[in-house]
Amino acid sequence: MGKRKNRRGPTEAGLTITSMMDMMTIILVFLLKSYSTEDISVAASDDLQIPVSSALKAPKLAVNVVVSRKDVVVDGDWVLDLEQGIDEDTGGEVISVPDDEKRGQLITKLYDRLLEKAETAKDLGVRTGNQEFEFKGEVLLQCDKRLPFSVVRQVMFTAGQAQFGNFRFVVVKGSG
Amino acid sequence: MGRAGKSRGEDAEELDLVPIMNLVTILIPFLLMASSFVTLAVIDSTLPAIGAPPDSSNDDTEETLSLKIVITDNGYTVAGNDAVLKTESDEGEANQPTIPCKKAGCPSIDAYDGKELTSLLSQIKDRWPDEENVVLVPEDDVSYEVLVLTMDSAREDPETKEGGKPRELFPYVVIAGGMQ
Repeated sequence: MGKRKNRRGPTEAGLTITSMMDMMTIILVFLLKSYSTEDISVAASDDLQIPVSSALKAPKLAVNVVVSRKDVVVDGDWVLDLEQGIDEDTGGEVISVPDDEKRGQLITKLYDRLLEKAETAKDLGVRTGNQEFEFKGEVLLQCDKRLPFSVVRQVMFTAGQAQFGNFRFVVVKGSG
Repeated sequence: MGRAGKSRGEDAEELDLVPIMNLVTILIPFLLMASSFVTLAVIDSTLPAIGAPPDSSNDDTEETLSLKIVITDNGYTVAGNDAVLKTESDEGEANQPTIPCKKAGCPSIDAYDGKELTSLLSQIKDRWPDEENVVLVPEDDVSYEVLVLTMDSAREDPETKEGGKPRELFPYVVIAGGMQ
């Protein structure tokens, strides 16, 4: 074959698609392998690094609360900003909920938003009468791994007050 | 291409790969969009007010262990039945954690001794095989990452295998309000 081509001269140098096809087939198989239809997605960024865990439980769809180092987002809608300060003793970064956003432990804006979500979810459960849509108070928590527990606790407390008592901490599957 | 093949007479016709190429080029961006390289998982937890999951044993006659792990910037303190577990070397000394950090003051997540905690909880599980709940009491400054590490260490013991799977220790985690 090669010889024949040479005889035809350089004018007919066609594109050798075969090697490209080989490559494409390999890429195709690789991408098909990593194809996923997961219910939830994480928009990872510098301010939202999900911790690695050895947990194996698959995530299910629920109200999604994302707590990054900068702000709190519920189901894709921004709710409030977090305060970033410097610890005078250690010089480390301290993240906290601004004092005017909370009443005791309760983060007011987050509480209002979650209560709205709870009402909608309950309404849906009643209207459809479907067991699947019944309100179970499940909330997916995506938190940055560097957040102090005080912020996580206040978010959990607020969610609990808004009738979301079942927490699902989203983690990245790894060897842990 | 086809015509060129014909002109060569009886030669085998070359396979026309161009349409397949077109198909593959369209499929690749589509699959790239839909593929995920990070697999996610969840850890379940409930509020202390709601209490233990329903499938835990409610047998009142049996002695239950209310296992608690307090996470501070000194390390882990394990307590059960209102008694604090102490390491032998630390006996007599007040306010020493059961499993101290590898480095004083626990500057990073690596300083927390998750492996030691797992082996200790494994021994506790030997004594209370039916117990599945654990209460975590983290301090305010403890980072979320350490919390996840602790939940991982308390959930299963990868060193001991039971039927090919890592041994389950205390999979039901309740996070308490913590110390103010």
